[in-house]
Amino acid sequence: MTKRRWLAHIVFRALVHRRGRTLLLLAVLTLASSLATALGLVSVSMRARVAEETKRYGANLVIMPESARVEVGSGGLRFGAIGEPAYLAQDQVLAALARSGVKGDYSFHLKGVLTLKGVEIPCEGVDFAQVRRLSPWWQVDGDWPRPGEVLGGSDLTQRYHVHSGDLFDFTFGKETVRARVSGVVTSGGDEDDSLFVNLPELQQQMGRPGQVSEVRLLADPGNGPLKEQAACLQRFLPGASVKELRQVGRTSEELLGKVQLLMLLVTAVVLVCAGSSVAGTMSTTVLERSKEIGLMKAMGGSRWDLLKIFSAEALLLGVGAGVGGFLLGGLIAKFVARSVFAADAALRPEFLSVAVGVSLLLALAGSVGPLLSVFRLDPVQSLRGE
Amino acid sequence: MAAIIETSGLTRSYGDICALKPLDLCVPEGEWLTVMGHSGSGKSTLLNLLGGLDRPSGGSIHVRGTDLATLSEDGLARFRRDCVGIIFQQHHLIPYLTALENVMMSQYFHSVPDEAEARHALERVGLGHRLKNRPGELSGGEQQRVCIARAIINSPRLLLGDEPTGNLDHKSTTMVMELLRELRDEERFSIVMVTHNQEVAAWGDRTIHMDDGCLVREERTKSC
Repeated sequence: MTKRRWLAHIVFRALVHRRGRTLLLLAVLTLASSLATALGLVSVSMRARVAEETKRYGANLVIMPESARVEVGSGGLRFGAIGEPAYLAQDQVLAALARSGVKGDYSFHLKGVLTLKGVEIPCEGVDFAQVRRLSPWWQVDGDWPRPGEVLGGSDLTQRYHVHSGDLFDFTFGKETVRARVSGVVTSGGDEDDSLFVNLPELQQQMGRPGQVSEVRLLADPGNGPLKEQAACLQRFLPGASVKELRQVGRTSEELLGKVQLLMLLVTAVVLVCAGSSVAGTMSTTVLERSKEIGLMKAMGGSRWDLLKIFSAEALLLGVGAGVGGFLLGGLIAKFVARSVFAADAALRPEFLSVAVGVSLLLALAGSVGPLLSVFRLDPVQSLRGE
Repeated sequence: MAAIIETSGLTRSYGDICALKPLDLCVPEGEWLTVMGHSGSGKSTLLNLLGGLDRPSGGSIHVRGTDLATLSEDGLARFRRDCVGIIFQQHHLIPYLTALENVMMSQYFHSVPDEAEARHALERVGLGHRLKNRPGELSGGEQQRVCIARAIINSPRLLLGDEPTGNLDHKSTTMVMELLRELRDEERFSIVMVTHNQEVAAWGDRTIHMDDGCLVREERTKSC
């Protein structure tokens, strides 16, 4: 029999022999690691849930070109600022997104003006597929536009007596284009007062191919705080301004951060308590086994040999409790996530290493004191039972 | 014959109490030395020093040429596993291991556990039929024989016995002593045995008597 197999054999026999104490240690370690696993899983689940919820609010970042602004006023009077319209190149934005590592869905917007029935009205060039993904709350009465079609805002269409299916002549500058209104959009925002045109068509009419006046981005909140993502993207877009679009995203993040901090503190307290309990139980075990330790020393066992035996016991307990804690933690997380957040907390394999790590750390940390006393134990005194 | 044990001015004190007063002792290779004396006479202290379980307060102690006083903690552990086998009065077997495993435990510290060798050692002490029994399932005499098998499994040159028959009845005592003599004759190791029992002492080659930490008398014994 190899030394390693023998070590495993005697460690297992020793643990089975003291099954009451072994079970107690296993229970403490399992509970501690299950709590760490459960809180970790709930935390991940919450983050995913918050990310899912935030998606419903649409874009959370907006990229706009920096325009030259001039303050207009005289004496003590200020009339505000005027600025030349500025544009961003689509390629530049895409390159910045790729280089910054900021991931998420985006939509390009080009704002312009066209003439309908002799009146200038605001229009916006968009990629309808992108807008559809990023603005799920848009309610379209009719169809989403195909090439050569436009989408009218509900207020605008009402004001100019336009209906779905109507054909109109729109004038861009000197050029007139005939287009069909495929549907009417209601969003409850500025969009209701605008006309939406296919982006490449508007870019062509305005003589700005590949240029946009605004990019809306739904950055994945799972990749870190929005503020940091915005700052990261800003570094790669020197001629633009990247801003958080919605306060709600930040508030959710802050709340999530606070809840996670609370969970972390609770876990820390539980781990400290469990560590103390393990240390106490291990100390009692060493005390009970002092004769056995003395005998092993008398047989020629070095301090290293004894350290191996007792560490192996702690290791075995740690691994066993870690696996148990992982499974139990998964169940607890499922229960908590379902009953508190109405979400599902899936058992993630990467948390097995967290559970085993926590359990091992506790088992070994709790054994440090008792192991030191094993080192110091005098064989003669311990064999006498002193 | 070369000496396996040589002490010179060997002392051991515990605070103000002098458990062993300067002792000069020489034990030749292969000798069976019996140490007799009342409780507190210093015989167990001497045995612990010879086994490297304790450190002397003064003097020198050489076992097979090694000065035990100069060895580190790990050096003493190496000395115990390579040179010495110890038989205790209380047996001190590990309760959750079988007779066979208790013997293999000694092999584990020495080199590598070898089941065949351990089984052979137990067969030599007449316990071939008790291999899988735990200490709690063995009689006192049987436990002591497991203890002997464990002590000789690594072929030590020095066997130390701390009242090995102290807890045994007459029949078991005779059986254990016969076994020790047989093994000694085969292996030619030296024995230092502490005992209160005159009959047990008679099994040795020489007896020293101790009192109040001093060697007071020494005699050659006739073989039984």
